[in-house]
Amino acid sequence: MTTTSNMPSGWSRRSILKGGAALGAAGLTMPFMGKAFAQDNTLSFWQFYAPGGDVKPQVDWFVKMVADWNATQSEQVALEYVVGSEYIGGTKLATSFASGQGPDIFIISPGDFLRYYNGGVLQDLTPAIEEAARADFPESVIANRMVDGKIFGVPMEVEPMAFYYSVKAFEEAGLNENDVPTTWDQLLEVGKKLTTAERYGVLFETNPGYYQNFTWYPFMWQGGGEFQSAEGKSAFDSPATVQALKLWQDAVNSGAAPRQMLGGGGGDIVANLGSGYCAMQNVGIWGISAMDNNAPDVPYGIFKLPVPTGGKYVTVGGGWAFVANSKGKNPEAAAKFIAWALASMAPDSIQRVVDWCTVAKSDMPPRNSALTAGGDAFNKGNMGIFGTQIHPGTRAEPRVPPEVYKIISDAIQQTQLGGADPQATATAASQQLDAFLASYSGAPIL
Amino acid sequence: MTEITTTAASDRPAAIRLTTRQREAIAGVLFVAPDAIGLMLFIGLPMLLALGISVFEVDGFGGFKFVGLANYSKMWIDPLFWSSLRVTAQFTVMLVPLLYVTGLGLALLVQRTSKFNTVMRSMFFAPQMVSLVVVALVWQLMVVDKLGVLTRFAASIGLGGISFLGDPNLALFTVTLAAVWFLMGFYMLIFLGGLQDIPKEYYEAARIDGAGATQSFWFITLPLLRPTSFFVLLVSAVAAITGAQAFDLIYVMTRGGPANSTALLISYIYQQAFQYSAFGYAAALATLLVVLLMAVTVFFFLLTRGGRFDYE
Repeated sequence: MTTTSNMPSGWSRRSILKGGAALGAAGLTMPFMGKAFAQDNTLSFWQFYAPGGDVKPQVDWFVKMVADWNATQSEQVALEYVVGSEYIGGTKLATSFASGQGPDIFIISPGDFLRYYNGGVLQDLTPAIEEAARADFPESVIANRMVDGKIFGVPMEVEPMAFYYSVKAFEEAGLNENDVPTTWDQLLEVGKKLTTAERYGVLFETNPGYYQNFTWYPFMWQGGGEFQSAEGKSAFDSPATVQALKLWQDAVNSGAAPRQMLGGGGGDIVANLGSGYCAMQNVGIWGISAMDNNAPDVPYGIFKLPVPTGGKYVTVGGGWAFVANSKGKNPEAAAKFIAWALASMAPDSIQRVVDWCTVAKSDMPPRNSALTAGGDAFNKGNMGIFGTQIHPGTRAEPRVPPEVYKIISDAIQQTQLGGADPQATATAASQQLDAFLASYSGAPIL
Repeated sequence: MTEITTTAASDRPAAIRLTTRQREAIAGVLFVAPDAIGLMLFIGLPMLLALGISVFEVDGFGGFKFVGLANYSKMWIDPLFWSSLRVTAQFTVMLVPLLYVTGLGLALLVQRTSKFNTVMRSMFFAPQMVSLVVVALVWQLMVVDKLGVLTRFAASIGLGGISFLGDPNLALFTVTLAAVWFLMGFYMLIFLGGLQDIPKEYYEAARIDGAGATQSFWFITLPLLRPTSFFVLLVSAVAAITGAQAFDLIYVMTRGGPANSTALLISYIYQQAFQYSAFGYAAALATLLVVLLMAVTVFFFLLTRGGRFDYE
């Protein structure tokens, strides 16, 4: 009998099975091989800027910083880029820590500080930072990165919130810079005047999330409101909180503010103010570089947050900080790197902060020495408005556990977009806060 | 010569003699083994681990504390869990019938073989070729306040000031429409397969007996599509409850807002696990989701007596 086979000559069923088994075994051992190869002492530095980012000055800043460190130190650092949306809202960072494979150095915002601190993975950086450098950070900037007098994160920037307005929209409505609102009532009134069939007068963030809470806090503070009292109980049920919730609700209900935004949301000034979707937008200092780089033909102005009747001006300052993983390969070396990069009194460390805030981004510096070294960069033009008018009233972004964030977020959403009564919502949220705070046992909420 | 051959043969280990039936059985097992092993490793094992994690408080940083059924009892007093369960139920109730009707409707429209219908089939299936994130962004632009194409259309028919994604009463419906638009081409293909299995002779006999198009549809097409309908309803219900595709759409279009009106159970599980690092509670929620899915599947199988149909 003649046997026909469609196998290539030289191949047998047995050889294919053997090959398959070998491939399977190789596949199973790959993770362990990868781990074996990864057993070097290079410190990994995760962030969403470099080397894969698309803003060249920011990429250059990170690459140069690490290259300068690596040229002089035995403990090497390697940048690992994680796409921004994945870094902030994705699973990569959370799963890496859950599996004990977290990065050695990474960046976090105040909103995430307590999650990592209470998880026991933030390294105390204090021993690596000289006293003079410690004093160089204003209390309002460094406090929310400290616990029991120890520093667990070094801020790289301060990003205060303000309002931007379209000069063209103002002119079309017969307004000029003298009509820039200074009170909440004026804000709503001017917002209505600027509203047309195709444009909204004023824009607040509408997507739920840490960023929306961040942008709402100053409106609560301006009337003297707090979400937590000095005794550690909820202070959310207050007239100041209610009027802040009502302001955002009134803006939407009057038709002056949208329920939905374009592009990346309320922080994306180019997609909203730049495109003409709104005439005034609540955005942070990063809006300057965003507009100048991506919408250079759109004339705009900046003004500080309006205040309620009888209120006091205050804005919120966000910003990211370098932190070290206390369970990483070499936490002491990671702390040393962070102190060298951002918190040393050496001129290059100070200049690095200046460059980040003026060349790579448009931010206010977190250090007094950098503010001085930056000179005119922080005193002229639009940056000057922030430096002289807006930044002096900056209060640090609160650090809250995720549960507190969610309670406040729901209160904002229910009133702003859900039409709920601000007073009833504040009362209900306050009760939820009290229930949580009674059982909370982590680092102080600030 | 004969002697040498005999010696060589006797040195070999005794061959196991198998019957053809046994060989076929072994071959069958071997063919199924890769899938079975894969399912056990990548589905079964994680499910078991999740079940195990659900009785611990897990902080996401290596800390485990046994809490028994505390994560399950927490659900009963968690308003956000109930809210997400309600949203998931609403989403399922809207999505499954809409997918069934649009999938079947499109299949009936393009079932006849012609060049035009071939092009139309490709067009209806085209959304499946696009990333869900892109689909979400396109829909977001189409329904954006004041400027979106659909928003302008709504304004032109007297529905000015409408906000498809910013109004809690409309947001879930809008997301459901986007999901239907994305998925209907896939279900159209499944229905096309089912329609082609119906013998033409039935329609010819019905026509001779004086049946019209509507009667043919009700008394021939629909009954003979029962196996396909069963599959479509089951798969779309599972997709809706797990939020398989909707998760991406919602993440981009609304992030669960406004006021939690589009926060599905799967979104809540994701939030608990990856934003709050509450992996234990998330695992308990995921376990409940699996139980829900099993209940739905059992319901469908009971309804059809194990997926069997009278005429089979």
